[in-house]
Amino acid sequence: MSATGSVGGTARREPHAPESTLGRKPDYLHAESTLRSWFLTTDHKRIAILYLASITGFFVIGAVAAGVVRLALIVPNGAVMTNDTYNKAFTIHGVVMVWFFLIPSIPATFGNFLIPLMIGAKDLAFPKLNLTSWYVFMGGALFTLVSVVLGGVDTGWTFYAPLSTAFSNTWVLPALIGVTIVGFSSILTGLNFVVTIHTMRAPGMTWFKLPIFVWAHYATSLIFLLATPVITTALILLIMERAFHIGVFDPAYGGDPVLFQHLFWFYSHPAVYIMVLPGMGVISEIVPAFAQKKLFGYRFVAYASIGLASVTFFVWGHHMFVNGQSDLASLVFSVLSFAVAVPSAVKVYNWTATIHKGSLRLDTPMLYAMGYIGLFVLGGLTGLYLATLAINQHIHATYFVVAHFHYIMVGGTVLAFLGGLHFWWPKFTGRMYVEAWGRVSAFLIFLGFNVTFFPQFILGYLGMPRRYATYPPEFQLLNVLSSAGATILAAGYLFPMLYLVYSLWFGRRAPANPWNAKGLEWETASPPPAHNFLEPPEVPRIPYDYPIQAQETRDQHR
Amino acid sequence: MSSAPVPEGAVEGVGVARVAHFETVAQQRQAATLGIWAWLITELLLFSALFLVALVVRIEHPEATIAAARHLKFWIGATNTVVLICSSLTMSMAIAFSRMGWQRAMVRAMLATAALGGLFLVLKGYEYYADWDEHMMPFLADRPFALAETPAARLFVNLYYVATILHAVHLLTGILILLGMTWMAARAGFLARHQNWIEVYGLYWHFIDLVWILAFPILYVVNRSS
Repeated sequence: MSATGSVGGTARREPHAPESTLGRKPDYLHAESTLRSWFLTTDHKRIAILYLASITGFFVIGAVAAGVVRLALIVPNGAVMTNDTYNKAFTIHGVVMVWFFLIPSIPATFGNFLIPLMIGAKDLAFPKLNLTSWYVFMGGALFTLVSVVLGGVDTGWTFYAPLSTAFSNTWVLPALIGVTIVGFSSILTGLNFVVTIHTMRAPGMTWFKLPIFVWAHYATSLIFLLATPVITTALILLIMERAFHIGVFDPAYGGDPVLFQHLFWFYSHPAVYIMVLPGMGVISEIVPAFAQKKLFGYRFVAYASIGLASVTFFVWGHHMFVNGQSDLASLVFSVLSFAVAVPSAVKVYNWTATIHKGSLRLDTPMLYAMGYIGLFVLGGLTGLYLATLAINQHIHATYFVVAHFHYIMVGGTVLAFLGGLHFWWPKFTGRMYVEAWGRVSAFLIFLGFNVTFFPQFILGYLGMPRRYATYPPEFQLLNVLSSAGATILAAGYLFPMLYLVYSLWFGRRAPANPWNAKGLEWETASPPPAHNFLEPPEVPRIPYDYPIQAQETRDQHR
Repeated sequence: MSSAPVPEGAVEGVGVARVAHFETVAQQRQAATLGIWAWLITELLLFSALFLVALVVRIEHPEATIAAARHLKFWIGATNTVVLICSSLTMSMAIAFSRMGWQRAMVRAMLATAALGGLFLVLKGYEYYADWDEHMMPFLADRPFALAETPAARLFVNLYYVATILHAVHLLTGILILLGMTWMAARAGFLARHQNWIEVYGLYWHFIDLVWILAFPILYVVNRSS
């Protein structure tokens, strides 16, 4: 500790003052410090921090609602709370987690922060639009929270007609409006990423030098642009029907509620990949860094991202196998759904091949990444069960489905989110967290997650339907086990929140590249200066230029 | 997109001022153009979903759809189509003038575009009034629906309202943005700094026109047959 904080007359103690301000421009956190400089910022890094703070808040709300659901399901007879309360609790959990946490989670935070750094740009292409998207997001969230405060919604996150349009007596309208508005924020983020990746790359940064993180976000952004408007239309039709009786789904006049499901899943299945692809991008950065080895099959992983984003548009019917669509349609959707497994498996095999004979360091981000790979495989394989027509008849809308998508959404996306948060935390904040605590949190979450959700596979297979407040007494043991796991999981979530915030003030100062990782974001200081790079970064010869390289690359460059 | 913008500095006083986070003006222009195209693709899917619903309603209830479509005011819709096509012409002229640096002519062409857009909305408003008059607003509790004996006709009529209102909202937003931009574009030096705004905005205006060109046959024409 030398002349910290004494230069420039600012003796005030700040959370993370840079080591020396002599001859160095202040980093993005310290360039300005007024409230206005945060809420009217156009710096992609600050906007990422705004998003990070807001989605953390939504995650807490969604997690509390999940806690309420698990509390209710401890007893089989639904004695803990009324059925209405239970319905509202799982709806809030679903709405908040899907629309306000999972969809923006990685793109709006890490994507926002890192894409310009990774491609060597000063900012996203449209910085004001980027800030607008955050305000749109918060505006939409406000509507949805209003519906919660007024008394809640009980339709489930899927808002199926005619329950949402004609029968529910709860505050559906503000929730629908909120979700519609949030869609625009997704579209604006996706638009910004697509344009940025196309036009803002540093000289020499060709498409096949881009990190997979960028490829994954490009694929995600295409889904944002092409799928989100369809749900906007579907939600507008619901809003018009519920508010003004200008409806097209009402069966009383011959309308077709299944049509709403088609429109809904045309977005909401691709939305699964909005949630999953960025996580895959994160894992593709962490694994090579902690194996110190070039990513195996770089081009295949890149193509697999685009492949997933394409195939995902043609599988929505697998959510509707029992809803009366034709056998032929079901058959085609089933086959196409199996095709999703191919690019997914390409990624998993390439990560494991990267780990093979690597020089492994099992630090916190890598522990999360390995947890991700294992849980994603389980979630993905059980997805194949659900894509199989005959088995689907048996387990449709049971806890098997709930367990399956939580293995993808929590075991996948949330673990990737936490892994990425630990990986880039030094870059975001300039501080290191306590490594041992990080490892404990990774273990807690992996343990808590499996205890919570594995019993749900069994429950679903035995026939327990999802969204029911009561169940036969013989299912109690597994339900109690699941609720017990949820408490471990809750502790696992709470712990990183505490030690990460602690590190802001008391953490060790982070060097520019604490993990010895490759990628342009590690070339600049931690935290980066306001305009990202003090001098234009030099684009490396090949991506993931780690000391250990796979045989094929050595042959190529010999 | 067909005719490329004039190279930077080719015409005196026409160009784009670089914003700091772009390296070159060409990059900035490219980003703006790609940005608006990405937005338009999103908009296209927004309306496509509605057109898909129209198709499904037509397949599921052909008789009721035809009965409802015969009540639409074909000639108002047709006139409005011509009005919007003319507005696209004036918008294209505004773009051409902006490239040549003819600021005054450009501003007039923009005002003409906004006026034609306004005319469309007036005609559309009159059409809604006629619909109301003929009891073609089934969602109004105090006005019994003219086609009450074919309940499914409601579905098509409702869809017609959602689609045309959504289009009208786009057009109204477009007119407001256009007027605001015209106000700025009338000032000295505008073309030297923001010429590409006119190009980018023009794409949006043409798109609103295009959506109507699709909506008119889908709602008014196709369903009248048989």
